[in-house]
Amino acid sequence: MTREIEKAAGIPVVQIATIVPIMLTVGANRIVPGVAIPHPVGAPDLGADGDRATRRELVLRAFRAMQTEISEQTVFER
Amino acid sequence: MKLELHKITVRDVQWGTETCVREGVLYVDRQRAVDFVAEEKRFARVDLELARPGESVRIIPVKDAVEPRVKMDGKGYFPGFLAPMDRCGEGRTLVLDGAAVLTCGPIVAFQEGFVDMSGPGAVYTPFSETQNIVLVAEPVRDLEQHQYEQILREAGLRLAVHLAQACLGSPADAIETYEKGSACEENEKFPALPKVIYVCMNITQGLLHDTYLYGSDLRPALPTLLHPNEVLDGAMVSGNCVSACDKNTTWHHVHNPVVAALYARHGKELNFLGVVPTQESTVLDGKIRASKMNLTIAQQLGADGVIISEEGYGNPDTDLCLNAKNFERAGIKSVVISDEAAGTDGASQSLADATPEMTAFISTGNVNEMLVVPPMDRVIGWPESIAHLSGGAAESLRADGSMLVEMQAIIASTAEIGYNRVGCEWI
Repeated sequence: MTREIEKAAGIPVVQIATIVPIMLTVGANRIVPGVAIPHPVGAPDLGADGDRATRRELVLRAFRAMQTEISEQTVFER
Repeated sequence: MKLELHKITVRDVQWGTETCVREGVLYVDRQRAVDFVAEEKRFARVDLELARPGESVRIIPVKDAVEPRVKMDGKGYFPGFLAPMDRCGEGRTLVLDGAAVLTCGPIVAFQEGFVDMSGPGAVYTPFSETQNIVLVAEPVRDLEQHQYEQILREAGLRLAVHLAQACLGSPADAIETYEKGSACEENEKFPALPKVIYVCMNITQGLLHDTYLYGSDLRPALPTLLHPNEVLDGAMVSGNCVSACDKNTTWHHVHNPVVAALYARHGKELNFLGVVPTQESTVLDGKIRASKMNLTIAQQLGADGVIISEEGYGNPDTDLCLNAKNFERAGIKSVVISDEAAGTDGASQSLADATPEMTAFISTGNVNEMLVVPPMDRVIGWPESIAHLSGGAAESLRADGSMLVEMQAIIASTAEIGYNRVGCEWI
């Protein structure tokens, strides 16, 4: 889906996913590593505040990735 | 380490006034066994059913399968569960060879499966050939899922040990001996043979996807090294509701064909140095950590080759790739055993991940292959649960009782330790 949206509509897509190697294999271009498979965009073990901070940081990082010019598959680490 | 499996051949199972085995027939005292399992007060209902090869019987949903076994010194089985905490893999074990306890109850999670005792579905599961004592249990209302999984898992183990215990004293039809020394001793005996280890990947993902080693959850654990006898003698217990087709049931662990095959070749073609039960983590760091520690164990033992079996599919494909990549880059030959999720037409990419180092791949079949299984005269369990099982759908169960399903709904149809009949056809 990530690749199709980019290809067909020309809209940059950021993929948040836990298992980065799979994203590299399937050809996602902008990759933000997620937290864990049962909760890719949160950290429930950090409590409500920690969870919220984790979510916020992930989304802001995804926005940053979306605005970044890239020439190859890129993983946006924290 | 020396292990003797005293195998009593079970060719039939019947109800009896006492539980015993005579001339190949396992007689089960139904009421006594039911009362024994019902001591767990979190069950609202407990019943037993028998299912024999060739009968027109469907069992659904099946969670685990356990071979009836007990240590002959009377100390139970499955250390950490039903035996005092101690090492297994030594001494004498009584085995009711050909019998199996299957656990069945209202669905725990979506990844359980079914067993047909005859018809086209039967050929894909080893439990169509075993004499089955089916434990059908319902939990009390509002019991949390993880507690239900736990009591049903433990009830299966308890019933299996209970049956074997009642047969202590009956003569064995065959005695199999498994004996092997330490890595140092075997290296001295067979200096010219290639050293091989077996890396057994296990679902360790929490949320009802867990495997136990000596009663301990493997999820927060790290890879470790076992003597193969420990695996063949009840060290590992399945507690997971991963897709039915490729979960290693508790029955599978003690029958692990990779362990058996390496053992059979030990001292002849190769030097079998041990088994590494390893994790499939839900976080990338966990996957990398486990795969690197597997490499360290292999290198410290001086392994020349590694066999890796996966459990489950999807994200564990990354663990599989990481393991293969690490070993190959370190100059250790690796062979992986995995099934494929290649779509109903078999045309899709069959693994979620890929790596060029993974050059030797043994396939145990395509989990998405479709088949129709006919109605059975008797259904043990809850046939409507097929709507929620992986490999099933709301429309799977038809009015006449037949089902259109994917292979993955059948217990152990593509088991990745290789205990099945599905694979590639050589042309």
